[in-house]
Amino acid sequence: MLNTIRYYLRLYLLFTKFAYRTVLQARLGILFFMGAKLVRFAFFFFFILIIFGRKSNFGGYTFNQAILFYLTFNVIDTAAQVLFREVYRFRPMVLSGTFDLILLKPHHPFIRILLGGGDILDLSLLFPYLLLALFFAFKITSITFLSLASYFILIGNGLLIATSFHIIVLALGILTTEVDHTIMIYRDMTIMGRFPFDIYKEPLRGVFTFIIPIGIMMSFPPYALFGLLSPFSYLLSFVISSLLFFGSLKLWDYALKKYQSWGG
Amino acid sequence: MIQVKNLTKIYKTTVKGSSFFSDLFNRKYKEVVALDKVSFEIAGNELVGFIGPNGAGKTTTLKILAGILYPTSGQVNVLDYFPFDKKRSFLKQIAFVMGQRNQLLWDLPALDTFQLNKEIYEVSDDRYHQIVDELTSLLNAENLVEKPVKTLSLGERMKMELIATLIHNPKLIFFDEPTIGLDLFSQEIIREFIKKYQKQYRATIMLTSHYMEDVKRLAKRIIVINKGKILYDGNLKEIVQKYSSTKLVTVVLESKIDQIKLSSIGNIISYVFPKVSYKIDRHLIPEKIDLINRLLPYMDLTIEEEPIEEIIKKLFSGKK
Repeated sequence: MLNTIRYYLRLYLLFTKFAYRTVLQARLGILFFMGAKLVRFAFFFFFILIIFGRKSNFGGYTFNQAILFYLTFNVIDTAAQVLFREVYRFRPMVLSGTFDLILLKPHHPFIRILLGGGDILDLSLLFPYLLLALFFAFKITSITFLSLASYFILIGNGLLIATSFHIIVLALGILTTEVDHTIMIYRDMTIMGRFPFDIYKEPLRGVFTFIIPIGIMMSFPPYALFGLLSPFSYLLSFVISSLLFFGSLKLWDYALKKYQSWGG
Repeated sequence: MIQVKNLTKIYKTTVKGSSFFSDLFNRKYKEVVALDKVSFEIAGNELVGFIGPNGAGKTTTLKILAGILYPTSGQVNVLDYFPFDKKRSFLKQIAFVMGQRNQLLWDLPALDTFQLNKEIYEVSDDRYHQIVDELTSLLNAENLVEKPVKTLSLGERMKMELIATLIHNPKLIFFDEPTIGLDLFSQEIIREFIKKYQKQYRATIMLTSHYMEDVKRLAKRIIVINKGKILYDGNLKEIVQKYSSTKLVTVVLESKIDQIKLSSIGNIISYVFPKVSYKIDRHLIPEKIDLINRLLPYMDLTIEEEPIEEIIKKLFSGKK
């Protein structure tokens, strides 16, 4: 078991190293990418500032709390992009038949097609987001060690949901050879998680809890931090993320059996 | 090493509907039988040529044997594994070279891909250095390993691909059109390499190629497949005995001969003085040679088997 973990860790680091070396070859591209990300972050930050310039609270949350929702979204979203950037490149692999070569390797294909393209650019944004989130978290007086631990555990749970979504995208990529639009739908849906989940009305809230659990993914960690989650909500979040994860693995197995190996 | 029994693979493809709406809401599918109850066995250290026209089922068979595709029905046993299970211990013993694809990291030197594969296959440092040295030397490619892959020619990339694929010293290798698109010189290098590699490492090899020359030069045994069915499985030389009913007789004449006299020997397939070629039924050979001796003044006479390409073409078209 330990040897297997060591094996996959070594491979992950190698794939990441090669991905970074490839990215670093296009220096102008890096400049545009980072610039665009920072501008987008700043615009939304100012958007929240403008809202609080006119209103004293947003959906019942203070300015610091609203910012924390946004930063938590950024942490989970950016971490997912750092880890799963390779999913965006899956379609050409399927269409060209390169995916065949990955299936022949004696490692799980996820180490290559899910985790194999670690994104250094997003990684450099993840740490500032995380530090800012901690900064605003400590500005909220009711924070305890337990609530902070719950916050990080639920961020981990959010990442498990993100992993499941990405596995579903990969499986659909095999079944339909379509990846770009599916991943865009996922991105558009997760963007709704920039705001506190309880500003949405039913049935949207139900859909985003039980069917596409964006709420659990993005809003539950700050809820835990503010002490607003019941034990049942904790249980619900773990059950739903686990079900989604195992469901995504089943879909992946099904897709592999249906794989027709195009381009050959 | 490989046992295949009644292997069937059916692909499901969409049929274009009569309108946009029928395509969208009432899509129809058809089943395409890529392999139809195929059975064969391959022993260790064999080099088997797998030939057939486009869409015959060659690559599908190889992909099922390598665990890429899931068979619709039938039994497949490769190295005592069911390939689709993709067990690590199974995948570490096989390799698949695809002439039209490569695994090399495009922007980086091939050496980086070798090192990546070294880690993937958990090859020891000593073994890695030894095999890279041996393979680069066999391919005369020592100066290519440190150049970015994108700067290499197609033939050079194929050499690097071979090293990357064989770095773990696999027991079983599938070569799918390894010489496709290469110039004659590069084709020859790859053929020689496969031949030497098999001899040196005693690997079992399945080879598909559109170039009969590849198969003729490398394989003793061939499996001929068409429309998902095996038409012939046996010795390459025996296919000639079994399926060729004629021989090619070429006569180099001493002087010009009347056309009627020439035609009296048999079916002329070409005549450019001084050389005349006949296609003659096998069982008529002694009789016709006797006739040539009596009627034609000649300097030289050769009797050849029909080219294998012709025999296989006949097999595909169902003629005997």
